[in-house]
Amino acid sequence: MQHEPPARPPSPSAIAVRNLRKDFLAPGGDRSFTVLDSISLTVDPGEFVSIVGPSGCGKSTLLNILAGIESYEAGCVDVAGHAGKANSQPRIGYVFQTPRLLNWLTVRDNILFVLEAQRIPQPRWDERIAKYLRMVGLAGQERNYPLRLSGGMQQRVAIARALAIEPDILLMDEPFSHLDAITARKMRLDLTEILATARPTILFVTHDLAEAVFLSDRIYMMNTKPARIFKEVIVPIPRPRGPEDSKVLDLEKALVSEFFAAVETKA
Amino acid sequence: MPSGVRSAALRAASIAALLLLWWAGSQLMRAPDVLPGPAAIARTIASDLASTGPEGQSAYFHIGITLARIAITFAASMLVGTAVGLAMGISRTLEGALMAIIPLLLTVPTILMVFLAVMWLGFSEAGGLVAVMTVVAPYVAVNIFEGTRAIDKSLIEMGLTFRASRALLVRKVYLPQLMPYIFSAFRYAFGMTWKVVALAETFGLKYGIGYMFFFWFEQFNMRQVLAWIVIFVILMLVLEHGVFARLESRAFFWRDSAARHSPA
Repeated sequence: MQHEPPARPPSPSAIAVRNLRKDFLAPGGDRSFTVLDSISLTVDPGEFVSIVGPSGCGKSTLLNILAGIESYEAGCVDVAGHAGKANSQPRIGYVFQTPRLLNWLTVRDNILFVLEAQRIPQPRWDERIAKYLRMVGLAGQERNYPLRLSGGMQQRVAIARALAIEPDILLMDEPFSHLDAITARKMRLDLTEILATARPTILFVTHDLAEAVFLSDRIYMMNTKPARIFKEVIVPIPRPRGPEDSKVLDLEKALVSEFFAAVETKA
Repeated sequence: MPSGVRSAALRAASIAALLLLWWAGSQLMRAPDVLPGPAAIARTIASDLASTGPEGQSAYFHIGITLARIAITFAASMLVGTAVGLAMGISRTLEGALMAIIPLLLTVPTILMVFLAVMWLGFSEAGGLVAVMTVVAPYVAVNIFEGTRAIDKSLIEMGLTFRASRALLVRKVYLPQLMPYIFSAFRYAFGMTWKVVALAETFGLKYGIGYMFFFWFEQFNMRQVLAWIVIFVILMLVLEHGVFARLESRAFFWRDSAARHSPA
């Protein structure tokens, strides 16, 4: 079933993807297979949208295409620049599954690396670093080295790094999937708090429906092989939300059964 | 650092034990021309350093020549080896071609390399340089090449998503990951360089510490041969531990912190 985007006010989208197809070369080299097929989605400015799908369905590939480090075979990918400035390149922050910090640099220098990469003027560096480290709860860790921090703290540095460039778009690829359940839960709550002040457009990829329902304004549900979007869900639950709110749990339950139904009809 | 103090004490004790064994052996053999004791060697070194040696050259002259040869051939081998290793990391064609040749070079015994170089290039500085480079540079190249293979691609990807320039990537992502390999190549290459230089001096070159080995060997003067070996070993140990080890621990201090995890 092809998904129909519902009518939305004509505000220009922050992200617009139409009929995207991505092929990978099979190991061995001569045959290719399709990982992403007729993917269409939009994300409005300031919106928090999740893509939920099973592992290996090509979600990370989709984010890499949006980040501009992966090519694609067909379709249209539009990532809008800064609101108001027509032709400017969008600033894209990326939080990966693992922290991907430069372990030989201090926490401060890790953030400085992306500020330099994005050519943010030097006079603003100190203020940015202090602000976003405070925001993720790591004030005073500037001079520490990543390997001295716990996994959760390393991922907080990675989030501060992505926020420090004050991105138009924040891409998050299962950022909490490598953390233990308690740390992940705390990080999710902290993320909603952080986003109350810094509010970029977010495309969040996860295989965890509970996480998606708790965090998102809208959810795309994805199937695998090749990955297609089979459903779009608006999350009508007002914020602030709690992870155990009955509305959150009810919607999660409903989506889980729909998910399994979709996967089973495929198999 | 208590563990550092302990290992230093252990090292001092084992060196003292070696000297004691040497002394005991020389006492038992009672043949100062075959195995002179440590004290006799120390006296010989002192007098060598204080006087003009055979052929009118002082000990410092020979030491200086050897150090200069080590410095030049080491720098040349590191430069060429690093360049070749990086090139192999970048180009698949070069990798394939050189990976066939380098193992051949690595299997040729060092002493044969020295003889070959001397036979082709004569008893000249160029012969010594070529001998050292053919032995040391392939090893450096392989090490650096392995370093390029071990680079974490996910960090490069991270840099690219944040639109880091090539220069910034090289400075902050590629180079720091290559450093351990460069350092280990550096230390091993240094150890190989001074051995090959000593060998080349013994069998081919005029002047230098190795030349003195051979000079006194031909006179069958065991006391002088041992004195020059001790001078050489002390010099190399000072360079190795006093300079390289210090540089290395400075460059990789960030790794030591891995052990000290703090909770979230």
